[in-house]
Amino acid sequence: MRVIREIEITPTSVVRNGQPIAVEATGEKMLVELYRRFAGDYPKFFKMDTLSRLGFIAAEILLKEPTANGQKPTAIILANRSASIKNDTDYMATISNGKYYPSPALFVYTLPNIITGEIAIRYQIQGETSFYILDKPEDLEQILLSTFNLQPSTSALAGWCECSDANTFYAKIQIIWNN
Amino acid sequence: MEQLIEQLKAQIIVALNFEDMTPADIDTDAPLFGEGLGLDSIDALELIMLMDREYGIKLADPKAGKAIFQSVRTMAEYIQANRTK
Amino acid sequence: MVYCIGHSIISPLGEGSHANLEAVQAGRSGLKLYTHRFADVEPFCASLFDTPQDFVPLCIKSVEGAITNYQLQITNSKDTVFILSTTKGDDLDLITPAKAIVQHFGNPNAPIVVSNACTSGVCAQITAMRLLEAGLYRHAIVVGCDIQSRFIVSGFQSFKALSPEPCKPFSPDRQGLNLGEAAATIVYTTHPFIPSSVHPYWTLEAGSIHNDATHLSAPSRTGEGAYQCLMDVMEGISADQIALVGVHGTATMYNDAMETIALERAGLQDVPKSVLKPFFGHTMGAAGVVETILCAMQAEQSQIIKMLSGFGGVNAAIRLRCE
Repeated sequence: MRVIREIEITPTSVVRNGQPIAVEATGEKMLVELYRRFAGDYPKFFKMDTLSRLGFIAAEILLKEPTANGQKPTAIILANRSASIKNDTDYMATISNGKYYPSPALFVYTLPNIITGEIAIRYQIQGETSFYILDKPEDLEQILLSTFNLQPSTSALAGWCECSDANTFYAKIQIIWNN
Repeated sequence: MEQLIEQLKAQIIVALNFEDMTPADIDTDAPLFGEGLGLDSIDALELIMLMDREYGIKLADPKAGKAIFQSVRTMAEYIQANRTK
Repeated sequence: MVYCIGHSIISPLGEGSHANLEAVQAGRSGLKLYTHRFADVEPFCASLFDTPQDFVPLCIKSVEGAITNYQLQITNSKDTVFILSTTKGDDLDLITPAKAIVQHFGNPNAPIVVSNACTSGVCAQITAMRLLEAGLYRHAIVVGCDIQSRFIVSGFQSFKALSPEPCKPFSPDRQGLNLGEAAATIVYTTHPFIPSSVHPYWTLEAGSIHNDATHLSAPSRTGEGAYQCLMDVMEGISADQIALVGVHGTATMYNDAMETIALERAGLQDVPKSVLKPFFGHTMGAAGVVETILCAMQAEQSQIIKMLSGFGGVNAAIRLRCE
């Protein structure tokens, strides 16, 4: 497996292929700042929860420019430990404390694989999209190896995309080629 | 009615996450779905929830929403006629 | 080659795969109307356990039911991996119950949880197939489980996706889905020795996952992703070799219409369908495992396809050879 591009995002920093990208804001506001800089043409971004925004921005920065062979990854395989806990909490708030107004827009994001769907729609990737919940990022490697082994996926946007609240998140996502 | 329309526009912006918009950006008579704001089925459900939460209107049949949500004006007119809050 | 060497289902219809198959064949459904199960929630029709179940013990019981016929090395064995398929886990936590299950059986490997919406149960079996084919493990215990809650039911009601009556998949007057809960386990191995106690035996031969890439909460109108999955698992096989297709059949307007189109495009429209949600409701993370088992139990000396679609535009299918 070959890593051809990589991005690492924390609430205070963004590093692409080992080079830091200067940002002014932090946390969720930083993700909005990155959206305006790297995308800006996708109002649906503002409907997304923090986890999806994180994954969306990572994908946007990685996929913005065509790869050397001009091909898009054929699969999107992401993982984390907390599933969609931040959105779950936000959704719960609409049906707690004496209130009962379940929000469909929030319920949409109470499954972590939604972020893979958002990226697939944005980049028209009709290959595999998968989401795994794992104890640690290293556990994803065997999944990627075995996915490429059996094909048909030959490349993937893959990695760790974790969020526990609006200002606590971490993503390390790569474009990986199988050769 | 005008006050309700302005209030409704502000509520729609919050409920549907139109972060880059102000009420002045929304045309009262433009279609909400399809053209205009280009809302989708989840947005429609969220508007149904908005009517319940803010105005005490329960819409049992989502298909009735099509007529009500033609524009901000038709939505405001429906709310005016049916609000319990 | 990846073979099934054990399976079990625990549902409101009974304990054990055979008990559940008998219930289905006798036309018994677990669906009932619930008015007071969860606070504030409108009355809903679902298939729930009489006594609310705890997630981890239910999964453990399911695994135990699947491994009785074969002496599987699980404790202290690096050869066996657990794969849990679930959407909302144990009170929104997915990794902790997975670790608890693994710890209960003394297995040293990190568990893998598949959380790919409603397709999880099929995706988990595909994950098992890949890990075994790659030689990373010899055995995979795939457990699918979801327990209904106020969180889940209220959410589906906010989508107006639930039918107030027992669901009617593919019917012109279908009104939406019913929710359900269950735990099911299917055990796969690459160990070449198949004990004579395992019969009939099933081979997991193909699996495929595709995203529609059109909309997050509604399927592609042309069934694109589902069609691609069917074409992938049908490679080298003709429709007359398939005895049964286990469809998703949630009884929502769009899912059933999309699935019908995908099946027609793939030339499978005349193959008998296994439609199980009127018996179990939509058991979410468990669905792919429950429905694969029951579908395979009904096909002797033939092949079956199990297909599912889910939130986020994802579609998945597997093909099993049953002998």
